[in-house]
Amino acid sequence: MNIKLENVLPHPLASMSHSATSIWNARIELFQGQKVIADAYSGKGKSTLIALLFGVRSDYDGTVYFDGNAISTFSMNDWSELRRNKISAVFQDLQLFPNLSVKDNLLLKNQLTNSYSEKEMAQLIERVGLKDKWEQKCGNLSMGQQQRVAVVRSLLQPFDWLFLDEPFSHLDKVNTDICLELVLEKAEINNSGVLLTTLGEDYSMKWDQHLYL
Amino acid sequence: MLRSLLFKYQDKKQLYVALLGGLLGIVFTLISLHYLIKVNDFGEEKDALGPNIFIVQKKVSSSTSLNLGVTDFSDEELRFYKEQAFLLAVEPISSNNFAVSFETEDPLVPYFRSDVFIQSVDTSFLDVHSSAWKWNQTDSVVPIILPRDFLMMLNTFMSSSGIPVVSDEIAMDIKFKLTLSNERGSANFPAKIIGFTNEVSSILVPQSFMKFGKRAFGNVNQEKVSQLILESKDGQFGLVESFFKSHHLEAKNAHLIAGKLKSMISILLSTILVVSILAMLLSCLVIIQYVQLLISKTAYEIRVLLRIGYTVRNIVRQFTLYLSFFLGIMCFAGFLLFYIIKQLLDSIILNAGLMIDVSLSFVTIYVITFIFIVFVILTRLNTYRNVRKQF
Repeated sequence: MNIKLENVLPHPLASMSHSATSIWNARIELFQGQKVIADAYSGKGKSTLIALLFGVRSDYDGTVYFDGNAISTFSMNDWSELRRNKISAVFQDLQLFPNLSVKDNLLLKNQLTNSYSEKEMAQLIERVGLKDKWEQKCGNLSMGQQQRVAVVRSLLQPFDWLFLDEPFSHLDKVNTDICLELVLEKAEINNSGVLLTTLGEDYSMKWDQHLYL
Repeated sequence: MLRSLLFKYQDKKQLYVALLGGLLGIVFTLISLHYLIKVNDFGEEKDALGPNIFIVQKKVSSSTSLNLGVTDFSDEELRFYKEQAFLLAVEPISSNNFAVSFETEDPLVPYFRSDVFIQSVDTSFLDVHSSAWKWNQTDSVVPIILPRDFLMMLNTFMSSSGIPVVSDEIAMDIKFKLTLSNERGSANFPAKIIGFTNEVSSILVPQSFMKFGKRAFGNVNQEKVSQLILESKDGQFGLVESFFKSHHLEAKNAHLIAGKLKSMISILLSTILVVSILAMLLSCLVIIQYVQLLISKTAYEIRVLLRIGYTVRNIVRQFTLYLSFFLGIMCFAGFLLFYIIKQLLDSIILNAGLMIDVSLSFVTIYVITFIFIVFVILTRLNTYRNVRKQF
C-alpha cells in the first residue's frame, strides 16, 4: 500500500509558518517497503501526522491517499479492517490497558488476527527483555518497559505500514537497538514500510526517505 | 477478557434498580392486561346476540297502563336515537301479530308444547353465521334462536318428567315445530335451534320468516314498534344508562349493571396498565442512562480497542449480549411473578364464587416477548450511538 499526501495541512498548524522542505502543504509519496524517518522539534506535527495517517483525526485540509483512495472517504469499518491487516501503530501515549497484564494486552490485540501463538508472543517479550513481566499489569511497568510492550503489540498483525510515534523516547541505547532491530525484522518479513517520528535522533541507520516537518 | 475490560467500572446498583423497576412494570402490565381481557370476556357466554346489545322499551307506568301515554316508538324518536354518538346502531324489533305455538317433534324427547312470541331483528345484531340464519319458503327448516330462560323452562319440564336435562349442544339437535295460525287456518314449520340468547325473552326467527308469517297470518292493522334493539360503543355504559333514564327507556337491568361494573374495572385496569407502561419506560431510560455512563467511564478502553482494530460492532455486541442476559432474566422473572400472582388472584376470585376463565391469555406471552425485544433494540441502538462517538 502506497501513501500520498497532497497539500495536507492540519488545522492546528495552519497559522504556523512552514519551511520549503516541510511535508505540510506539499506533495509527498511514501512507498510500501520504505523506511521513513520524520524528525522535527516538538509541536511541529509529528503526532498529528501519525494520527491522520491512522484515521484518528480528520481536521486537515488537502488529501491523503492510500493506494490512490482518499482516506477521508473511508468508513469506520474500512478503518477497522485497515487497522487489523494493513496499518499498525505505536502511539506516543502508548495506549495500553494499564489494568491488564502484559500477556492480556498482547492477547487482546492478537486475537483479532491470530498472527502469533501465545508462546511466540512470550518469546517476543523475552527478546525485548521483559520475560519476568509477562503476567504483570502494564500500569505497574516503567515507561520504557511499557514502550517495549507497545512495540511488540504493534507487530502482532499483518501490516503494510508501521507508524511509530517517538517509540523509543524512554529507552536506553541497548533496548532501542533491540526494539528497532525487531521492528525492521518484522517489517522485512511483511515487506512493509516503517514511518518513525523522532526528536532529531536518526538511530545511526540509513533511511530511504527523510521527512521534515 | 474483552467483557471484563468493558465492564470493570460498572456500578451494578444502578442496573439492579432499573431492572427492579422494569420487573415491577412488567408484572403490573401483564396483570392488568390479562385481567383486562378476562374482565371484558366475563359474562359473555356464547350469545347469539353480539356484545353491547340492548333491547329497550318504554317504561310502563300507571298512565301508560290507562292508555294515557304511548309505549310505541315514532319514526322521529327512532331517527333521534340513531343520531346518538355512543350508539352504533338502532333498529326496531318486529314482533308477531298472529298466533304461534312451539312444540317438540322428536321421538327422543317427551312431547312439549307452548304458545310463544316470536320476534326478528336485523341480522347485523346477531353473532351467528349468516349462512345458518336465513329462510325462504322452499326451506324445510326454520332456524331459531331460543331465549336461554326458555331452555331452562324446558329443562325444568324434562326434570319433572324424570328425563335428563339437555345441554345447549343437545338442544340444538332436537327437532321442534312452529305452528303459525289465525282464525282462518294454520301452517306447520319444522324448526331447529342454532343459538341461544340472554337478551330477549321471545324466540327469534329470520326476518324473512316473520314477513312471511305476517303476510300469511298477520293482522292487517298498522304495525307498532314497541321494542328497539340497539348496540352501544365499548365502555360507554354510563352514557347509555343516563340516556335510557332521561328518555324513560328500560332495558335488562343485569346487563346494564354488569356493563357498568366491567367499564369501571376496565378503566381501573387501564389506568394501572398506563402507569405500568410508564414505569417500564422509566426503567428503560435508566438502563439507557446506565449504558451511557458505563461507556463514558470506559471511553479510554473503547477508544484503544477501536484503534487496535476492533470494530464498533465487536464492542456493541459485548454490551448487547451482557444487557440482553439481564433483560432476559428481568422479563422471565416478571412473567414468572405475574403467573404466580395470577394463580393466587384466580384462586381468590374462584373462592369468592366468581366463575372466571383462569387460562393464561396468549397476549401476555406476546407482550413479554415484545417488551424484551423493545428493551434489547433500544439499548443496542443507544450503545451503538455512544460507541461510535468514541471512534
